[in-house]
Amino acid sequence: MNPALIIAENLTKFYGDSPALRDLTLEIRRGEIFGLLGPNGSGKTTAIRLLLGFLRPTAGRASVAGFDCWRRGVEVRRLVSYMPGELRISGSMTGFGVLDFLSGLRDGDGLDRAVAIAETVMGLDLGRKVRKYSTGMKQKLALALAFADPTEILILDEPTSALDPSARADVLQLIREAREQGQTIIFSGHVLSEIEAVCDRVAILRRGRLVHVEDMAARRRLRMLLARFSGDTLPPIPEELELSIRRPEGTAWLFEHRGALGPLLHWLAAVDVQDVAIGTEDLRALYDQYHGPGAADDEDGAGNEDEEPSP
Amino acid sequence: MRPFFTLAGKLLRDSRWSLIFSALALFALGWLFVHVASLNETRILKTLSAAPGEKARAFRWMRDMGLEDAPSSTAIMMAFWNHPFIVLVVAIWAIGRGAGAVGAEIERGSLDLVLSRPISRWSYLAAQAMVATAGLLAIAGSLAAGALLASWYNVLRVPPDGLELVRPALNLAALGFSIYGYTLLFSSIDLVRWRPTMIGSVLTLGGFIARVIALIPIFKDAVWRPWAERFSIFSLYNPVDAVTGREVYSFDVTVLTALGASCVGLAFLFFTTRDLPANG
Repeated sequence: MNPALIIAENLTKFYGDSPALRDLTLEIRRGEIFGLLGPNGSGKTTAIRLLLGFLRPTAGRASVAGFDCWRRGVEVRRLVSYMPGELRISGSMTGFGVLDFLSGLRDGDGLDRAVAIAETVMGLDLGRKVRKYSTGMKQKLALALAFADPTEILILDEPTSALDPSARADVLQLIREAREQGQTIIFSGHVLSEIEAVCDRVAILRRGRLVHVEDMAARRRLRMLLARFSGDTLPPIPEELELSIRRPEGTAWLFEHRGALGPLLHWLAAVDVQDVAIGTEDLRALYDQYHGPGAADDEDGAGNEDEEPSP
Repeated sequence: MRPFFTLAGKLLRDSRWSLIFSALALFALGWLFVHVASLNETRILKTLSAAPGEKARAFRWMRDMGLEDAPSSTAIMMAFWNHPFIVLVVAIWAIGRGAGAVGAEIERGSLDLVLSRPISRWSYLAAQAMVATAGLLAIAGSLAAGALLASWYNVLRVPPDGLELVRPALNLAALGFSIYGYTLLFSSIDLVRWRPTMIGSVLTLGGFIARVIALIPIFKDAVWRPWAERFSIFSLYNPVDAVTGREVYSFDVTVLTALGASCVGLAFLFFTTRDLPANG
């Protein structure tokens, strides 16, 4: 297992009396794609801004490659390329001017690659003024810069929100290539299918708290089994099957299965099963456990999830 | 250092049109005031060279005008440098740059993009302050340049030399620097542009009005008059004193510069330690 590159320890941020993030403790390993999931106001953006050194933690600490994010912000940002949700910059500059300026703030590194990505992958006309770009084109420009930066870490905040489907696919491919080149990626977003497609691990935030971290490789191995047996009792389940009961579903049982398929099928053939369905479970089901209509309220349920605390 | 100069270059490019316009406006005014001073002097000299009876009447008229000491051409010209339009141009530049440095960038969301690169907040604000100060010097310098160039083409009794015009120009730049300083201070703790702009404008306008009221003769003996004068930075802008070599000039420039530098220093302190929340 790769060592942790990004560490948050009890990271907490309050704006006045309003909590934006509470006791976030997690480690992001070198070379992984780490997803941040949660609705608006769940603390994703606050967590990212704490990592970039834009915010001073109310309690706890965050570090990147051993550098404290608040005290050693410049060293941290030397290792990090950040793509905000929306590119907001002087519209009087051309696309090339924006790339030239922003790569100039990193000693000019990555300009050639950014131009290549912007022109060939993103299909942008860099001679045009940015004010004439659509929102999607601006996002592509920011993405071209982010993927070109020669940094160890890439933080993408809703990187595909304004893109068309084919551009989204290109971006997901660029994310995979970045990981192959050894970059560590934090991918914050709302599109569950995209996060599911590329992330190695996913953290779910709810009202400023980390409520779940999911290993996506394990999740991809997960099968859901719905079976109805004759008789009132469940047949005994051999331990080596890695089969666990999630809940009863009427007269049937819903199981989670993480093992090999062969032994499971042998077991099903041996017991008196009346009806069976095997499938997978997407990230939506997990997400809905925390943010769906029937999600349990916690002690902070009084707050409105969709409202970001104001500084 | 490349990131710093990249940022400074961009700031300069972004503000080039307002800088060019301001500098040209003051250059033209500098020229105009020399021309007016020249016309006045020519008229006086013409009167003096008239008939003897006329000459006596002209001297009486000059005494009435308080011109017995025959101030230099430059001192007469400097009286025009108190024109509100000159102060207005400098104040607009100073308030615009000050309010735009932090609050406006947060409001627009563009600060995130710049500060997500490996550039410190200190460098960011230093680049802002450097461009604003250079702009103030350029604007004040263009007023002096306009006056100097005009003195070659207009007849003056005692034409100013270049160095003589540097002192009032520095006084004007120092005035602008103090306005920039307190506007930047408010901008460094804010999230929007309008508030530091409003505070900077109110303070500047208030100071100007206080100075004007303090100069009205009927308030000469009012107890509040010295306070109104003391708390107006405009009482420290005295271009006539600057060219007549009075000691108060150094005091004026020093206090204005110190005020601006203190505010800029505080702005650095606040900006480098504050939170930068997302906006929009």
